[in-house]
Amino acid sequence: MNDTLAQKLPPQHRTADRTYYLLRIAALFAMALMFFPDVSPAKVTILINKSVSLFSAGISYSGLISDSARPLRLEWVQASTYQILHYGSLTAVLGSLLAGACGCMSLGSLRLKRLGNIFGMIGGGMLMAGMGMTYLAYRQFAAIVEKADRIAATLPDAVYIYAGLGLLFVLLSVGAQGVLPRAEKTDRYEMKPKYRLFLMFLPIIVLSFVFAYLPLVGWRYAFYDYQPGGTLSAETFAGFKYFQMLFQNESTRNDMIRVLRNTLVMSGLGIATSWVPLVIAILMAEIRSRFFLRSVQTIITIPNFISWVLVYAVALAMFNTDGFFNGFLGLLGIQSDTNYLMGNDNIWLKMLAWGMWKGVGWSSIIYVAAITGIDVSLYEAATVDGAGRFQKMRYVTLPGLMPTYTVLLLLAVAAILSNGMDQYYVFQNAQNTSTIEVLDLYVYNIGIGEGTSIPLSTIVGMFKTIISVMLLFIANHVSKWTRGESIV
Amino acid sequence: MRRKTNELNHAGFRRTAGDRIFDSLNTVFFLLYLLLCLFPFYYLFINTISNNDLVARGAINFWPVGLTLSNYAALKSVTDLGTAFLVTLGRTVIGTATMVVVSAFAGYLVTKKEMWNRKFFYRMLVITMYFNAGLIPTYLNIKMLGLTDTFWVYIIPALVMPFNIILVKTYIESIPPDLEESALIDGAGYMTIFSKIIVPLSMPILATIAIFGAVGHWNSFVDSLIYNQTAIQLHTLQHVLYTYLNKTSNLAAMMNAGADATAAAQAAQSALNNKVIKYTISMVTILPILLVYPFMTRYFQKGIMLGAVKG
Repeated sequence: MNDTLAQKLPPQHRTADRTYYLLRIAALFAMALMFFPDVSPAKVTILINKSVSLFSAGISYSGLISDSARPLRLEWVQASTYQILHYGSLTAVLGSLLAGACGCMSLGSLRLKRLGNIFGMIGGGMLMAGMGMTYLAYRQFAAIVEKADRIAATLPDAVYIYAGLGLLFVLLSVGAQGVLPRAEKTDRYEMKPKYRLFLMFLPIIVLSFVFAYLPLVGWRYAFYDYQPGGTLSAETFAGFKYFQMLFQNESTRNDMIRVLRNTLVMSGLGIATSWVPLVIAILMAEIRSRFFLRSVQTIITIPNFISWVLVYAVALAMFNTDGFFNGFLGLLGIQSDTNYLMGNDNIWLKMLAWGMWKGVGWSSIIYVAAITGIDVSLYEAATVDGAGRFQKMRYVTLPGLMPTYTVLLLLAVAAILSNGMDQYYVFQNAQNTSTIEVLDLYVYNIGIGEGTSIPLSTIVGMFKTIISVMLLFIANHVSKWTRGESIV
Repeated sequence: MRRKTNELNHAGFRRTAGDRIFDSLNTVFFLLYLLLCLFPFYYLFINTISNNDLVARGAINFWPVGLTLSNYAALKSVTDLGTAFLVTLGRTVIGTATMVVVSAFAGYLVTKKEMWNRKFFYRMLVITMYFNAGLIPTYLNIKMLGLTDTFWVYIIPALVMPFNIILVKTYIESIPPDLEESALIDGAGYMTIFSKIIVPLSMPILATIAIFGAVGHWNSFVDSLIYNQTAIQLHTLQHVLYTYLNKTSNLAAMMNAGADATAAAQAAQSALNNKVIKYTISMVTILPILLVYPFMTRYFQKGIMLGAVKG
């Protein structure tokens, strides 16, 4: 029914649709913008916290005044000014949301569109009103003569942007309303399924965009002399300074080489032992007692489900100075109080051992699942052909597992730079940092931990991502080429 | 299914001497493996319920001596542990519930071929599994959104999990479409179909992702470490445990200072020491996983099978 309706649409709908494109983009823009503190129109004085976005200014009054306790107490400024600002921001936020609603409703039937237009007009009006109130608050701040330097009232450019957007919404929705014919009595508030589904999916797209794509914008920090709490501006622009530093500065370069060596060795050891779970799975399939098999399956996967912190707790209990291992040696008459977690020797092997203790059981369960997928008739045929137990393991089970093994191996190769930081972070200490520090941990250590260099950390993370994506791409092609199937 | 393989694999063949030796060795191997997995937990446990002086001397190795539960009682005075427990429980319950609802809904929607630009958006979603902007840009993004030092940083960024969405989608696609079609003909809307038909039928996969999600939330500490570094009251249990594990100062004295008279008396009876406190806190953190673990395993198996289908 909806489709036939669409075909009958008169030309003025198309004009309205073009208006709506602009309106939807503007609404999306307005709604996204209100979460960014950098473009908060509420920041009319330096007394307002830099991390307050328009959204938080409108939602939380306490956040708005968080940095202004002293001026308020000393009554340089009036609480009423902040309230005007707060309600102005709230009005603007609601206005943006209404404009967004208008954008959504414009996908619906004529009747829904016309209702949406009204929303758009109100929303645009509210945006402008909100900016008007912000301007009022700004004037009140600016009117304070004494302590003017401490207040430093400024009118952010964002005020003009939002006011402009408000005006745009009003104009566009009035225009659309004028162009569109009146809805007939029989027309209902409805929307085509394809748009309805899209709108239902929209929040998920938005979340995914905000938390996965938006951070990519942060790669620009690689080009600035950025300090925590600092700003990105022309003065702090550093160009490729940090890129050069990474390759030319002796100590940074040595760090990189060391960290890459640690990363590649540990991933390499992981790949070199990747056959272990496969063998364990084959052996597990040979267990005869069902009860024993169930117990094995349940228990060997437990370590996979405890956190690395708990693995570290276990490691401490076992191998600390006063841990089990030394106590056990004591029982054998050997006095020992070595702390096996502290030193720098064999760290790679120790990390491999803990990684395997945690992960091998779980990985082998994956292969067990794959064994159940092997065609039973293959075993029957092998039995008929007189194959013994070991021959069946060798010529039926093992080949049957190879596809799974290849996929996991290719994925492991693609993830060769991503060891994660959890394991190495918890086992890290002053003595072993030089050999335990893998790329992910290094990025943390120089970015957030000790020697803070945000640009450098960003660059390293950037290279890691780019190389990882390339490796995955290659692995995928290798897979397509050898198995005729892609892995991602 | 695996039962079948196993039986056919072994059906009607006579055990030779070689088989017997192999079976015995195999059993011994797995017994050792089980020991390797279980002993550390057992060791931690017996040390927390034994006489503290013996524990301090490292005399408790294989069985508990001088049973006491006073160490667990003494944990009452570690107040930040209680807060951390509530925070972690909160994020596990809220985080898992919201993630499952979002995954189920998203998984359902992406099966709807009539959705506007479905393929494009689905791809956008799936691609995010294979890249990330890196630690610092992600951190600054979260900070810019005002999520640092809040509880919600544990929940909101973890709402959309592409892999879980793929799992749900794959599962829903395996449900016969007739049910949904007849409901559509009866005039049911998407929401009705989702809640009345899709969700009840997808319970197995939803349970699987719920369990994985819950374990992930319970175990996570990097987000606490990075985003809530300064908001100590929001640290997760694992994070607090890690802090305690690395403390070298006298924890017992600290606990006694904050403890009431009875706890102090208990502590005096069997001297608390750093080792015991660390072990007990670790045990308290592991226990929930160990307790629910046996009930979770069958869902894991299902999850792997579904993951394998995709892989």
